[in-house]
Amino acid sequence: MAGHAELSIESLPSAPAGTPLYVHLPFCVFKCHYCDFYSIPAEGQDIPGFLATLEQEIAARAPQSPTTVFFGGGTPSLLSIEQWQRLMAVLEEHTGFRSSAQEITVECNPESLDENKARALLDLGVTRLSIGLQSLRAQTLQQFGRVHSANEALEAFRAARRAGCRSINLDVIFANPGQTAAQWRVDLERILEEGPDHLAAYNLTFEEATPFLRWLEQGKLQALPEELELELAEITRELTTAAGLRPYEISNFARDGHACHHNINYWHNGPYAGLGPSAVSKIGNRRGGSARSLPLYQKRMAQRGHALDWSETLDAQARLAETWWLGLRLTEGLSAREARERAGFQDPTDPAVPVAERLVQAGWLQRAGERFQLTTKGLPLADAIASEFFSTLVPEGTANPT
Amino acid sequence: MDIQHIRNFSIIAHIDHGKSTLADRMLELTGAVQQRDMKAQLLDDMELERERGITIKAHAVTVYHEKDGERYQMNLIDTPGHVDFNYEVEKSMQACEGAILLVDAAQGVEAQTVANAFLAIEADLTILPVLNKVDLVHSRPDEVAEEIETSLAIEATDALHVSAKTGKGVKEVLDRIIERVPPPTGDREAPLRALVFDAVYDEYRGVIVYLRLVDGRLHKRDKVRFVSTGSIFEAIDIGRFQPKMTPCQTLEAGEVGYFVSNIKTLGDVRVGDTMTLASVKNPEMLPGYREPQHMVFADFYPTNPGDYEDMRDALETMALTDSSLTFEPVTSDALGFGYRCGFLGLLHMEIIQQRLEREHDMDMIQTAPSVTYQVKMKTGEEIWVHSPGNLPSPDKYDELREPIARVSMLMPAEFIGPVMQITTDHRGVFVRQEHLSATRVQLVYDIPLAEIMYDFYDKLKSATRGFGTLNYDIGDYKADNLVKLNILVNGKEVDALSSIVHHSRADARGRAVLKKLRKEIPRHMFEVRLQAAIGSKILARENIAALRKDVTAKCYGGDITRKRKLLEKQKAGKRRMRQVGNVDIPQKAFLAVLGGDEK
Ligand SMILES: Nc1nc2c(ncn2[C@@H]2O[C@H](COP(=O)(O)OP(=O)(O)OP(=O)(O)O)[C@@H](O)[C@H]2O)c(=O)[nH]1
Ligand code: SF4
Ligand SMILES: [Mg+2]
Repeated sequence: MAGHAELSIESLPSAPAGTPLYVHLPFCVFKCHYCDFYSIPAEGQDIPGFLATLEQEIAARAPQSPTTVFFGGGTPSLLSIEQWQRLMAVLEEHTGFRSSAQEITVECNPESLDENKARALLDLGVTRLSIGLQSLRAQTLQQFGRVHSANEALEAFRAARRAGCRSINLDVIFANPGQTAAQWRVDLERILEEGPDHLAAYNLTFEEATPFLRWLEQGKLQALPEELELELAEITRELTTAAGLRPYEISNFARDGHACHHNINYWHNGPYAGLGPSAVSKIGNRRGGSARSLPLYQKRMAQRGHALDWSETLDAQARLAETWWLGLRLTEGLSAREARERAGFQDPTDPAVPVAERLVQAGWLQRAGERFQLTTKGLPLADAIASEFFSTLVPEGTANPT
Repeated sequence: MDIQHIRNFSIIAHIDHGKSTLADRMLELTGAVQQRDMKAQLLDDMELERERGITIKAHAVTVYHEKDGERYQMNLIDTPGHVDFNYEVEKSMQACEGAILLVDAAQGVEAQTVANAFLAIEADLTILPVLNKVDLVHSRPDEVAEEIETSLAIEATDALHVSAKTGKGVKEVLDRIIERVPPPTGDREAPLRALVFDAVYDEYRGVIVYLRLVDGRLHKRDKVRFVSTGSIFEAIDIGRFQPKMTPCQTLEAGEVGYFVSNIKTLGDVRVGDTMTLASVKNPEMLPGYREPQHMVFADFYPTNPGDYEDMRDALETMALTDSSLTFEPVTSDALGFGYRCGFLGLLHMEIIQQRLEREHDMDMIQTAPSVTYQVKMKTGEEIWVHSPGNLPSPDKYDELREPIARVSMLMPAEFIGPVMQITTDHRGVFVRQEHLSATRVQLVYDIPLAEIMYDFYDKLKSATRGFGTLNYDIGDYKADNLVKLNILVNGKEVDALSSIVHHSRADARGRAVLKKLRKEIPRHMFEVRLQAAIGSKILARENIAALRKDVTAKCYGGDITRKRKLLEKQKAGKRRMRQVGNVDIPQKAFLAVLGGDEK
């Protein structure tokens, strides 16, 4: 990770008009055991104080006319309707997002989403709600450290529908310890019956500094065997497809017209501006992140008027390798030309093409017209495939902190 | 100091008999080192020496000692005891007139005691046997004195009893050196002649040359010539090791000291060379050193092919400080360009490899060590093969010969049985058996060098509960039923993984090598097939199943930098790997072909 050198706001260029915007709202009722997002229990926190600071950051850094806005967390739905009204008003004042954004998403958790809240959000211009359902099994929810029941989650989904939300995502996790293929099949079918427009289904991972990783290391939890994980992923693709949700990214499935534009921009390696603690921005060939702690975020904002904590410069080769890595996660894949354009890669000889061709030879990639895509065999090996691009294009590593 | 008041001697012994500790006491006793600066084995200043608690390089130091009211300059050289550094002992002897043969009074005469004593006899040194560690309750100085007399024919009845630990008897040792070791015989009025007996490279000062002056004088600012290389330098700084480098104006015949001239081209200095004044025409060379005999060869390849030149620089610097190291360029189908290096033994190899990594920051792949084979070709020509990968195919040659070591093993008599068993397992042929005393025996066997290279010594040690020691000399090359064991990775022969083994062992070795490779080679995106073969005959197979799953579930804007670093970290784990075909083979796998657990 880049050093914590004193940085000036100039070390990230300001985001041009139209840049997609991410806003991080870090509060949750309780920290889930597997979660490695920057989130903190809301109790006892000065939420109004944080929102005041966020407003300053919006004034200082939010791009004009963002094409998409995504409120992530944390649990954004935890904010009260009044807090939402104020936040959206400030944002509108500084960016005019309501007329520019084609998609405005708010992440929600069942315990803080009812019909009222959903309607209020839609009234404020929100077009898409993303609800953390995670599992239908009480035991699993408990193991995850979730504070809601399966029924409450389904109820939140229905409330969002009743409020008139036309694009709803459900977040689910599979491959949790003890899960069987039969269980997942039943559970996923049940979830899909509810008729979500979008599903984000994540193979559980044991992330650094989480209770889950600790329990795994202590032998209190067992990861599933690789073969079973592969089978569960298979089932996910099969059932979502049958339910009319197309797999458009490794973990994302959507009905036509409901794929998440904001996220697709990440996989296109596009620019984005991030506000709030731990949020990351990528502008031009620079990328940087804000302090990953609320007190530090507040302090930096007060002292310097920005909370940037680290940043890095990506050279052309690194940008190209990243573009392939991210682009191949999408079912549509990418062409060499698209990759060069997205990466701003000027050199007439494209070092990524021989790598891609080698991978086609090996059967990990396939060609669809101009585009390269992961094959069925390559899909579960997306990272190993990305490594091939990195080791050829940036053998010495990309890290170039400033 | 007039020449009659100079004594030059080295301390020689079997490993761990206490040479460096005795040197410590001498430094203390003569006041060369202040009490507060003292530490155990002070002369062992190399990081690896301190870590391993052994001496690797000979260390020269000058101390002053008074006897009967007269002051003497004593130039002592502490030498290593391990057989692999024998060459260091030999080099230092040419700078001396005497040697202290130190023998651990509890352990008795051991293999290197004998070997080093013979080197001293050959170098015509006055040998003073000294019995060390008499403070130990189980020491048996009288018996050991007898062992010295029987095994070496060196008079030892009046051998001094000392404890390098407590300091007992150390003054007497210095006194006796003055009494019995003759002063040097050089002519100070003759033109300068000095022996270059060692050298080290210092980043700031360039090459530091270790000299023993034989004739004449060397003054600061003198212009001098190295006779064999012909290069001329000015004596910018000269001095003595006390033990810190201490400058002086003049060094005279009989003395030991250093010479500095900011020499940056390593090729200009050769250990064993003679130094004269630049003005001297047709100088006479001093006898130099015999070529060291390399027992073990291994290839070093830079992990990153771009570091080939850096590797050469590192090896050149290393070869200056350690003239027993040789290297020459080599290419391998699998590993590209590298260097074949010759070593005096396995420990030597390990030390050089570690020094290259630490002192020169080299990141490299090393092949399994191999001995040199002699091949009699069908054409009648005889060729040398240093690495198994280069062995011609069997239809091209008549005979494949391997070096045979004459191994002498010293041990308490009760262990003869188990030791004979081990030697037989290692294709040994009995030569003779001798009793050094009622309880100690010397067994002499002819054993193929390749057989003793790897773990023979460990086996000897464990079969004799640590009491057995060995020494060996290389004798003839002999033909035996040897075959080349090929390792194929995904159907492709990897030259750097092949080895030459006895026919009867090929099967077991093949299986053992594949088992180890299976452990060392990481999973790939495809199945990796491993085969061991002689010619086209497959002896063993192993498969490394393909990696099936390696994918990040969540990957959004906030994760990209961190996830990318994880990807790069995985790749960094591949740093010490080389791609052969499309298979990444880690460094450790290349050593898998070494013998060991074949059961
Ligand atoms: N009890 C006792 N131990 C001693 C004596 N002299 C040396 N030792 C110990 O023997 C061990 C080896 O001593 P060194 O001085 O390193 O031996 P060396 O001969 O220089 O060893 P190499 O240089 O590796 O050949 C150390 O642990 C010393 O402390 C002694 O007189 N009495
Ligand atoms: S609700 Fe979401 S952000 Fe909050 S702790 Fe749980 S997983 Fe993390
Ligand atoms: Mg020593």
